[in-house]
Amino acid sequence: MPITRVCTPRLRLLTSVRYCPISRGRPYHSYEHESDPPPFNATEEAVLAAALRQVPEHGFTDASLSLGAREAGYLDITVNLFPRGSFDLVNYHLVTRRLALKKALDAQAAKDDGGSFKGQGVGTKVKFLTLERLMANRPIIHRWQEALAIMAQPSCISTSIAELARLSDEIWILAGDAGVDSSWYTKRASLSVIYSSTGENLAHCTAPKPEAMLMSGLLELFMTQDQSTDFADTQKFLDRRLEDVRIVGSGISNLKGYLDFTAHSFINVLRSKGVRI
Amino acid sequence: MSVTMLRRRASRPLVQELLAPGISWPQRSCRRASSTADAQPDAAARSPKAPLRREDRDFLDSALRVNQAGELAATLIYKAQTPLLIRAHPHLSSLMRHMYDQEAGHFSTFNALLAKHRVRPSALYPVWQLAATFLGWSTAMMGREAAMACTEAVETEIGEHYNGQVRQLLEMTREMEARGEGVSEEIRHLMDTVRRIRDEELEHLDHAVENDAKKANGHEILTSVIRGGCKTAIWISERV
Ligand SMILES: [Fe+2]
Ligand SMILES: [Fe+2]
Repeated sequence: MPITRVCTPRLRLLTSVRYCPISRGRPYHSYEHESDPPPFNATEEAVLAAALRQVPEHGFTDASLSLGAREAGYLDITVNLFPRGSFDLVNYHLVTRRLALKKALDAQAAKDDGGSFKGQGVGTKVKFLTLERLMANRPIIHRWQEALAIMAQPSCISTSIAELARLSDEIWILAGDAGVDSSWYTKRASLSVIYSSTGENLAHCTAPKPEAMLMSGLLELFMTQDQSTDFADTQKFLDRRLEDVRIVGSGISNLKGYLDFTAHSFINVLRSKGVRI
Repeated sequence: MSVTMLRRRASRPLVQELLAPGISWPQRSCRRASSTADAQPDAAARSPKAPLRREDRDFLDSALRVNQAGELAATLIYKAQTPLLIRAHPHLSSLMRHMYDQEAGHFSTFNALLAKHRVRPSALYPVWQLAATFLGWSTAMMGREAAMACTEAVETEIGEHYNGQVRQLLEMTREMEARGEGVSEEIRHLMDTVRRIRDEELEHLDHAVENDAKKANGHEILTSVIRGGCKTAIWISERV
């Protein structure tokens, strides 16, 4: 992994603002109609799976991709199938580990013959699945810092964040959570933050903080408009966003509870005084 | 708009359905059939149908989201109105109870559909909660007629909204048939659900008019403001 690619995001951004295509999510899951086609075709699957086996030794690099192509019986030229280079390899890891969660859950349920796991609450299953996903990084954990740096590249960050959101969604769904009120959002957002920060600790990583990663989608847009020297405005903007996240994150649940409580007690007091309200 | 006009409008898709050749529409009173289909996604999975097209999935996604938001609002409007109304008019107690129970049923129907089909709720969920509670409370404060005018306005909009959805679902199924794909139980069930709920909303509209909705002070302006608000809320929650 050439370190220069990580250190020059600003330059890359100015010369070519290329966003990875963001898939628009997966609306309306049907049980009777066939679902989405598999995310990787046969060639991609063969090459990327072989390349991933090279990662512990060669890292998330073009070299691993070439070795994987050769091992899978393709010419080196096949690597051209992957225009995003090493990010395609990272993405393959992320997507396949996410999709493997269902099997892991089924296996755990089958293993435990008393059926006690199946009967466990949503919380237990969320914890199990999150841990399971983290542990799936173990074989390549010494290379994870590279992967995080690749994910944080301007051209890849939106895809990375979308994938993090899909992981979080998948975990809540597999865990059997049926909540469809406003907690739908807070559950997914907090799991994303928890997941990405835990992953970071596991890798002893000094890469960008997860909040910074979450914010940089917005930040990029701001930065393209920024005329100030050394992007001073962009840095201030980032600081403000981080502050917002902190305030909103700690305050919102309490605020709603507080408003509900005060409104109710206020109305009840007035009603007890005979006010027709 | 008069109730009879709305009724006529409501029944138009039904006529279309009966006239549409080659489609065997299930009976309208198929609540039993639908609940069994609901309970057995696995049974249906045995014969997978062609994948839904992207635009159909997008439509179903936003349709379920907006319906859930609407039914959430409906339950909260009645919840806010009821204590005020029945203190002054105890005879309305059973009517309010009946309408609230039906709304609560609609709400839990859509909650289950959202969870089952992995549809996200509206991001403005708390906003709809606040707005609906305020609307219910303020109209009930204005009196019985205004509260009923609120129901009249809301149900007129919602009735039209559900009619539009039934039309789009019919269009979707007709295209599926034309492509030779066959229509899944899932889609049929959704269409029946929307029709049944629409009919119940139109009953609420009748109840409101029977209870002097039209005699509310400033009836015209009150209902047009509320209907404008409903239209805007529908437009937003289909998207956000
Ligand atoms: Fe309703
Ligand atoms: Fe209603």
